[in-house]
Amino acid sequence: MAVRTVVVGGGAAGIGAAGALKGANPSGEVVVYTEFEDAAYSPCGIPYVHGKEIVDFQSLFLATKEQYANQGIDIHYETTVTGLDFANRRIRVEGEGEVAYDRLIVATGFNYADPGVPGGDLEGLYYVKNIRQAMEWDKTLDNTKVAVIIEATPLGMEMIEAMIHRGIEVHVVDTRPWAMSDLADPDIVEPVQKTWAEAGVHMHYGVTLEGFVGEGKIRAVTTSEGEIPCDLAVICTKKVPNNELGARAGLKTGPTGGIIVNMRMETNIAGVYAAGDVTEIPLGVINVGVQGLTGSHAYSQGKVAGINAGGGHREYQPVYIPWGMVAGKWMIGGVNFGETAATALGIPFVMGVAQGISRARYFPGMKPIKVKLLAEPKSLRLIGAQMVGGEGIKERADFLAMAVKTGITLEDLAYMENVYSPPIGALNEPIALAAQNGLSKVKR
Amino acid sequence: MASLSAFPRWVRVNAEKYLLITAQQRVAKANDLAAPLPALDAKGRFFTKVFAPIYRVLPWSLRSKVLQLMPGSHRQQWSPRERKPNGPAV
Repeated sequence: MAVRTVVVGGGAAGIGAAGALKGANPSGEVVVYTEFEDAAYSPCGIPYVHGKEIVDFQSLFLATKEQYANQGIDIHYETTVTGLDFANRRIRVEGEGEVAYDRLIVATGFNYADPGVPGGDLEGLYYVKNIRQAMEWDKTLDNTKVAVIIEATPLGMEMIEAMIHRGIEVHVVDTRPWAMSDLADPDIVEPVQKTWAEAGVHMHYGVTLEGFVGEGKIRAVTTSEGEIPCDLAVICTKKVPNNELGARAGLKTGPTGGIIVNMRMETNIAGVYAAGDVTEIPLGVINVGVQGLTGSHAYSQGKVAGINAGGGHREYQPVYIPWGMVAGKWMIGGVNFGETAATALGIPFVMGVAQGISRARYFPGMKPIKVKLLAEPKSLRLIGAQMVGGEGIKERADFLAMAVKTGITLEDLAYMENVYSPPIGALNEPIALAAQNGLSKVKR
Repeated sequence: MASLSAFPRWVRVNAEKYLLITAQQRVAKANDLAAPLPALDAKGRFFTKVFAPIYRVLPWSLRSKVLQLMPGSHRQQWSPRERKPNGPAV
């Protein structure tokens, strides 16, 4: 009899797991449950459709429902799983009753943290997640004059850009002192915020959200600095693990709230795996769990869970979190943590900073790049990086993540080889310049 | 038991939030940039005025040991992938 694996969740982790299951065990039965009307689209692309940089929502889908069916993946759409019974290897499904499984993968994703203020039930509060709802909200944006972004998280920054592109007056409210301040350093974000100011964005930092007011529909956002009249509020709070289903059934969670897993994405219950935003994964540099990573991480974790649940063997690795994004006229990015997060943790570090260029100085279109490198003071092993520039940030972030992972030092980077080709690379690589700056601060 | 398992999360959430707030102030000042401070309630004042300064004076080796003792995925099996030896590849 075919092994039946049930996947709860149809996002990046769930669909990654389902595909890997079929690859590892083509004769196995794979059943996916999702509460949504669709599976496997890119929610990360939604802000760019709102901003008209992507023509339509259709292009965000990875595959059609027929393609999944043809692969032998049985997806139950708009279907809620209400309980997990590990002792009897069954799940409870609304409208279907009890469903047996041999292996189970929990990929229930995340929720946005509740702003925890009055007025949360008003119309006009937009949580960017479901693509069908996004299609409806996109029509609303045609008639929106003023929007308030609640928290300048990475999604918040993308939505600020989208509103600018749509010609909508934007306010951003955040108790933190600058955009993405949990991750990015102030000098990295400063150029971005300058371009936002030039675009007319109203930034309210160090300001506490107090509520949403209106009569049925939002009319204003109230804050510690007063009222901001608006037509729409976009809630971009931190992602928290949607762990209720798993935790209620007995899956252990860590201090982040994410389900505890090992490198095979196994939970504390035999035959039960978890993947994606509902889990917590060790951060390689300090070996402490982190949660709320990217779609890329979720998809990879889903693949690992699927292969292992399908009888194969694949190990996930601690993460080093390369990140990057376009913001204003700039690209920002980094690896692990920057000066702010390292200072918060109290990690000793030596820092090298340099301002370089992306192409030969004489080549048209040359852009500045600022690089900050953080290294462990004794070994000089790289532990983190931050960058802001006009181009070439993503590739450097990916490279530096691998450098951190493999134990590369400032000395290695200071004298690294680099591509020198006038249209794509300068004589002096900005990473090498930053490493040389770091070395100059260390007595060896 | 629920309160016992919830305690590490309470500590993690609040320590993370308020250590970041104090670090943001210090880093912004070092970079000569503005960092508006939000209004803090009693819990916020405790974590920024008492917890953060004590945390900061403890050596990293001790803080790291405490972090390792917290429950979580980092205490499960995560074997580092074996690296290839140095020298020519072929």
